[in-house]
Amino acid sequence: MNVALPRTKAESAYLEAVSAGEAGPQWLKGLRRAGYESFAGAGLPHRRLEDWKWFDLRQIVDRAYPPALRGAAPAGEVDALIARSPFARLARARLVFVNGVFDAARSQLPASGDVEFVRLASDGVPQWLTQAVAADGSDPISALNAAFVSDGGALRIAAGATADAPIELLFVTTAAEPSTLTTRNVIVLEEGACATIIETHLGGAEAYVANSVTEAKLAKGSRLDRIKLEAEGEGGIHLANFHADVGEGATLRDFTLTIGGRAVRQQGFVTVTGEGADVGVSGAYLLNGRQHADTRLVVDHAVPQGTSRELFKCVMDGQARGVFQGKVIVRPGAQKSDGKQSSHALLLSERAEFDAKPELEIYADDVICGHGATSGELDETQLFYLNSRGIPEVEAKSLLIAAFVGEAIDTVDNEAIRDELTRMTGEWLSRRSRA
Amino acid sequence: MLEIKNLYVEVEEDGNRILNGIDLSVSAGEVHAIMGPNGSGKSTLANVLAGRDGYVITEGTVTYKGEDLLEMEPAERAAKGVFLAFQYPVEIPGVATMQFLRVALNSQRKFRGEPEISMPEFMKLVRDRAETLAISQEMLKRPVNVGFSGGEKKRAEILQMAVLEPALCVLDETDSGLDIDALRIVANGVNGLRSPERAMIVITHYQRLLDYIVPDHVHVLSEGRIVRSGDKTLAEQLEREGYAAYAA
Repeated sequence: MNVALPRTKAESAYLEAVSAGEAGPQWLKGLRRAGYESFAGAGLPHRRLEDWKWFDLRQIVDRAYPPALRGAAPAGEVDALIARSPFARLARARLVFVNGVFDAARSQLPASGDVEFVRLASDGVPQWLTQAVAADGSDPISALNAAFVSDGGALRIAAGATADAPIELLFVTTAAEPSTLTTRNVIVLEEGACATIIETHLGGAEAYVANSVTEAKLAKGSRLDRIKLEAEGEGGIHLANFHADVGEGATLRDFTLTIGGRAVRQQGFVTVTGEGADVGVSGAYLLNGRQHADTRLVVDHAVPQGTSRELFKCVMDGQARGVFQGKVIVRPGAQKSDGKQSSHALLLSERAEFDAKPELEIYADDVICGHGATSGELDETQLFYLNSRGIPEVEAKSLLIAAFVGEAIDTVDNEAIRDELTRMTGEWLSRRSRA
Repeated sequence: MLEIKNLYVEVEEDGNRILNGIDLSVSAGEVHAIMGPNGSGKSTLANVLAGRDGYVITEGTVTYKGEDLLEMEPAERAAKGVFLAFQYPVEIPGVATMQFLRVALNSQRKFRGEPEISMPEFMKLVRDRAETLAISQEMLKRPVNVGFSGGEKKRAEILQMAVLEPALCVLDETDSGLDIDALRIVANGVNGLRSPERAMIVITHYQRLLDYIVPDHVHVLSEGRIVRSGDKTLAEQLEREGYAAYAA
């Protein structure tokens, strides 16, 4: 039985915006309309829906956040936020989006002809881009994103090319009043192409919703290293989807550090579409206060001989709440698939919470699949060992927490990026020990 | 250096009394062996000296270099020169052995108001000490005790001791799980650290270790009390006769 719920203020604000088809990129009109229609049908998901039981979006989006389509923002605040990205020194190209709109003046375009950048809010976009953008009405984040997308970055790495230095897509939000900023990125790696792409999300302290979708297509033998830093402001709600289509013999390495935002829902939908693909998805949470972060990951082995590894290390302090829902699907005939998933939580306070739901859905018989989830406090024996060597309590704890998170950071291949993530962890720990 | 007087200790969890009035006096330059059957309280004594949680001191005092040791946090005890070589060294995944040694050494120095050790100086110190203990560079790169064999763990404990240069070394069953070659290496490492300024308490079940680390005094612990003290010949006698005579 389908009981119609009364519309929330947030839902009404979205539905009244009716910007679908009227503003934003014209070539996305169809996508926008489809997104609007499916959102109008389903509304915001609530906790009685299984996938949303630990992240009641209907409650979390607690007021009207009308979609914003403007990029203007106080220059000083924007620059201060941009300066917070730890990746400035190591990114070769930097594509900056301020309040959902591309900011050419603050960006540095890729210099190499092998890397093509197109902003979504363009007229007459190339065919590779129109082909890559897909509407997915089944998921509320995707539907909202499609309905209200204002801009975003599309990158194409040419066949056989290696983008030798990381490219950063940087999203900055400074919302003067509650609003929703919606961006979408498209990453296309042609056959044999390689790239390291960083996605950084930063925001001011105000209340806002940042909705971000990234679609990646990995052609045969290509490799994408994607590193995402979610560091929204303290009033920010971050809703993000990552869709990846991993082709034959292609490699995906995806890492997300979740450190900011009031409520964060990040979903990954990774499909192994080519034989022998190699997928690694990992992440770390550093949460405190009343932060709430939920990761839902679906790795779908549609063809044989794919490998997938998932590792999440989640640290929760204060009254923070972490959630990890990971599902591995092995389709009929996807023999010799090898999928392993693990999530580990470290609870630093009695009021912190972690919920994990690992799921395996296997329809083939010759596969290796497994999952593991643990949750616990710092190990007293390890702490005493460090103390007994002269390392005081606070430092000993920081050392153990950094080591815990470090296991996930170590999955990042690029050493300079790893160092920055480690440094950010260290800063989080020193803020914690000063508090 | 260390003065233990009438020490009574209970396990916090169940109120079980383990130490029943220990008296022990250790001076700089001395090596004391504490022997006793399983369950006699040997490891409890070691843990209480290092400041491990989970014990309640119901009576008695422990004075270290004129200060009340029991009042100090474990890290403070370490910075002031107390070192416990663990019976079961703890694995710490994700923390490299070198990093651990450097953080430990610098924490102790900071506590004592000394400057941090320079990187080249530190590297040289560790390399020199590691060599005597047959510890490879590869081992130092691994996380603390992770994937170490029993012998490697015990050698790593002595390496930490050699690098941190404590004044009072407490070795808790350092010989357990060692084959004869590893025992020799560990004993050589320990003997190399014997000095007129340093005292050692060697806790062991067997006399074997004391063939290599020759003690000045031997004490027999039984039922949480020192029931007999003597020189190194006492250890040999125990080896021949066993602990039966000291059972309750």
